[in-house]
Amino acid sequence: MTLFLQAVADGLQMGLLYALVAVGLAIIWGLMEMINFAHGEFMMLGMFGAWGLSAWLGWDPLVTMVPLAVVMYGAGVLVYRGLMQKVQRGEVFTQIFATVGLFFFIQNGVVALFTSDYRFIEGSLLTRLSGANLSLGGIRVGVPLLVGGLIALGLFLLLYLLIDRTDFGLALQATAEDRDAAMLVGIRPQRMYAVAWGLGTALVAVAGVILANFFSVYPQAGLSFTVLAYAIVALGGFGSILGTLLAALLVGVVQSVTAAYLPPAFKDAFVFGSYILIGLFRPQGLFGRF
Amino acid sequence: MAAALVALLYPIPFERSGQIYYETVGFLVLLNAMLGIGWNVIGGWAGQFDFGPSIFFAIGAYTAALLSIHFGWNAWLALLGAVVVSMVICAALTYPVTRLRGHYFAIATVAMWMIAQPIGATWPLINGSQGLFIPVAAGGSFVHGILTMEFPGRGKGLGFYYLSLLLFVVTLLVARTVERSKWGFYFRAVRDDQDGAEAIGIDSRLYKVIARCLMAAIFAAGGTLYGFWALAVFPDQVLEVNWNILPMMAAVVGGLGRLWGPVLGAIVLIPISQLMTATLGAGPLAGRGIDLIIYGAVIMLIAGWRPNGLLSLPWAQWAARFRGRAPAPAGRR
Amino acid sequence: MRILRVIVAVAVLSFVAVQLAPGARAAGPVSEVLIGELLPLTGNFASLGQQYLWAGQTVEDIVNNDYPDLSVPLGPGKGFPGLGGAKMTLVVRDDQSRGDQARTLAEQLITVNKVHWLNGEGTSGNTSIIQPLVDSYGIPMSCHACASPTLTEKGFKWFYRTGPNDSTMVASVFQFLKEWPAHGGPKDLKTIALFTCDNLFCQDNRKIAAELAEKGGYKIVADLTTKTGSTTLASEVQRLQAANPDVLFSVQYPAETTVFQADMKRAGYMPKVIATSNGAYSDQTWLTAQKATAGAAGWLGRDPTAIDLASKKPAWKKVNEIYKKYSRGQDMGELAMREITGLLWMADTINRAKSVEPAALAKAANETDMKPDVMIIDYKGIKFDKNRQNELASGVVTQIGWDDEKHTIWPWDLATQAGFKPIFPSPSWQERETRSKK
Repeated sequence: MTLFLQAVADGLQMGLLYALVAVGLAIIWGLMEMINFAHGEFMMLGMFGAWGLSAWLGWDPLVTMVPLAVVMYGAGVLVYRGLMQKVQRGEVFTQIFATVGLFFFIQNGVVALFTSDYRFIEGSLLTRLSGANLSLGGIRVGVPLLVGGLIALGLFLLLYLLIDRTDFGLALQATAEDRDAAMLVGIRPQRMYAVAWGLGTALVAVAGVILANFFSVYPQAGLSFTVLAYAIVALGGFGSILGTLLAALLVGVVQSVTAAYLPPAFKDAFVFGSYILIGLFRPQGLFGRF
Repeated sequence: MAAALVALLYPIPFERSGQIYYETVGFLVLLNAMLGIGWNVIGGWAGQFDFGPSIFFAIGAYTAALLSIHFGWNAWLALLGAVVVSMVICAALTYPVTRLRGHYFAIATVAMWMIAQPIGATWPLINGSQGLFIPVAAGGSFVHGILTMEFPGRGKGLGFYYLSLLLFVVTLLVARTVERSKWGFYFRAVRDDQDGAEAIGIDSRLYKVIARCLMAAIFAAGGTLYGFWALAVFPDQVLEVNWNILPMMAAVVGGLGRLWGPVLGAIVLIPISQLMTATLGAGPLAGRGIDLIIYGAVIMLIAGWRPNGLLSLPWAQWAARFRGRAPAPAGRR
Repeated sequence: MRILRVIVAVAVLSFVAVQLAPGARAAGPVSEVLIGELLPLTGNFASLGQQYLWAGQTVEDIVNNDYPDLSVPLGPGKGFPGLGGAKMTLVVRDDQSRGDQARTLAEQLITVNKVHWLNGEGTSGNTSIIQPLVDSYGIPMSCHACASPTLTEKGFKWFYRTGPNDSTMVASVFQFLKEWPAHGGPKDLKTIALFTCDNLFCQDNRKIAAELAEKGGYKIVADLTTKTGSTTLASEVQRLQAANPDVLFSVQYPAETTVFQADMKRAGYMPKVIATSNGAYSDQTWLTAQKATAGAAGWLGRDPTAIDLASKKPAWKKVNEIYKKYSRGQDMGELAMREITGLLWMADTINRAKSVEPAALAKAANETDMKPDVMIIDYKGIKFDKNRQNELASGVVTQIGWDDEKHTIWPWDLATQAGFKPIFPSPSWQERETRSKK
């Protein structure tokens, strides 16, 4: 029983981190329906940013989170304005093609600048706390993961309020649902898309900054997280920010519980298996609106 | 006509000069063009996002390798076996998930790919991640090689070029037949307006399955070819993300939903990447990924410049101008 | 009209054909010896590939430049004296860690660049794809850091490996464990758990370890194959904790090892012995990163050389200095040492062959009998068995001490020289924390 409960607790903690990676994708892909294969590379850039500022200037990632988010917001807007806006004129599939190019460009750019070494953040607040545990009725909860998770929750709350409760959020949703109608009521769709790209990129970079405390930093670090992030956004349902959060928690728990009893090589397979199973009953994801 | 002749004669100069590598590049172009045509069926015509076609490539490679190693089947028979097996598996896997639409369907195909990976890495029948090896053939003539896909020694570059050309032509003919048939019409109807198609009595789920299984068949044939070419089947190599992405990229860069789109795409993409590797990827800056940075930039440029593919360029106009100009001086005077 | 165009096309093609036809290749002495370096420089195995590249550049530097005091093959003097001072030139290709690309580029190196020797691909899986190809062209090929035993067991005539394979490497770890009790080690190590990733390299090790564990009388209490690229291993740690093995045999890459350590620490889990073979243990960046937290103290694993003794050798120090020019300051890791040793052997072979003809090269290679004193690594020498595997490629077992450096603990004669007392049991996380704060 403890094994099971501990696995659930571990899963929930990981789930919050996955949510953090997925939330940026939930905006660009889930809400605006633009495909971005380079999502993980923005996360990796965030990781490298955190590592660089920590190694060279000694800044703690919890601090550098803010300036890096601002910079990456700019990068996201730039990618939309410089590339995706043109690509949008064509087939949806061209977005895949273009972002695969972006993927090659960013990943190998980092290889060229920093080599493929593994790097580790040392002496940050969260890494120093590693091993610190809270015990709740015999179930361990790691403090650094908890801090990361709380940041994720905070971001989710902000984002939820922004998208579901403000005029700006409504404008974003309107653009995603019907561009022409949105234009008629005076929304400039391309501006909305640019903001969405900026937001999504900034958020996933923040995820990278936090994850850099727990994981090794290297140019290929993005992939294993982003594959899960795609599953999470689809599982949660398109356009649902809270759905993404719940799906991320579910994915964390499925991974953790199956790995506790079944061959661990299959843990991601079980995640995707449950996506298909759930999809058979809820083709719009758990909380999808369309 | 001229294209066919070029395709047939392409390897001859390289065979003479011994630069077999260029024949292999031709092989890769044809293999990816073929896979691109396959992906075009589901992606371009039926309009379904399929991000995980490599599982059928892997099923093809493994089935053919198993049939050939354990039962001693001839490669062409093994290819047929691989095609049949992968179509059956495709139908069984795909029918349930056709309930999912658009991006949800796309992630279901990714899911199948993600599930296939640990199976490939741990299943004892296919020797897990330690892979299957197809023994090297002992001897035989060129014709014998074509009949068995086994070329001992140096004839291999040429042999596999023509094998891939053969399979490519078959694929192209099948695709052309399908495009002009009732099925092709139904596929496009499902793509353009699924609800409308259902309203006029087209079973959209059935036709999605048919489209995907046509793709599966082509990928299985490609996988078989790859297996005999590489003489080894490793799960992480046949399930490589490139077999998902490259055929799709070829179709998109050429022109989605057009018969010759993926062919043009493969002809453009593969030589570019090969050229980059051999020039920018080598030399004093080797190992820095410079070639792939530029490759990525080129891809982005093409995508931004021609978001509807290179076939959307005014080729016919250019051709007319070219034809018009050559004999013009005499005529106009 | 159409016929006209066909005729033009044929004319153009035959013109191209004539252009491409090979001129009579200049016989006689060559001015440079071309070495094809086919490596995974981007993609999943990039962190391995770059070390092999730096190793290659180091050897190119040693061969082509005059290092009068460097006692390795071709250290003193410029170029290959056996070939009239010809230079060594690396022709580097990046296969992006992809099998199809590796196979294609190998063909490019052989048929277009006409390299005299192919070195690569660095990972066993992709190497096994290019083996039949290279064999059909009949030029010598080597992969010194590829460790899969099958590579030399399939009867390819042109494939050479100076490094040890996984069987040898894992065997040395188990040999140490077996002999340890007689040398003051613990006598009650009865159970073992295997904890490996799911790719070729890890699974090779897992199978060999499973066999050896059974032979050594261990009870395998857990056998977990994890997913490469795992983002969490918390549940796996729980299972290991429940199985409570005395020895944990772990083969994981640096990224997963980092995840594993964090999850172990969170669960407060530490087995009595952590034994490993390659993976993170041979990755220089991982080792360096452990220094801040003493995270690797007490880990033991196989190494090709007694690094604490070797680093006192002047040749090792000098080669490391050259290596650092290319690696942006990183020290040679054990993979780089294996590769450099292999490439220096290759250079020596080419020099002895006095020719770049494949047959002459093969003859010189097969006649190799290299003595340990010209190596930067502790092989007993280089001499090939009938499968062209170096039968003298031995290894040592090292352990990471509290000073965060590797110390030789097996074989016993070298261990005595090193004078290091093995740490047992593997220290708890609290102990690591207090010790590393000092």
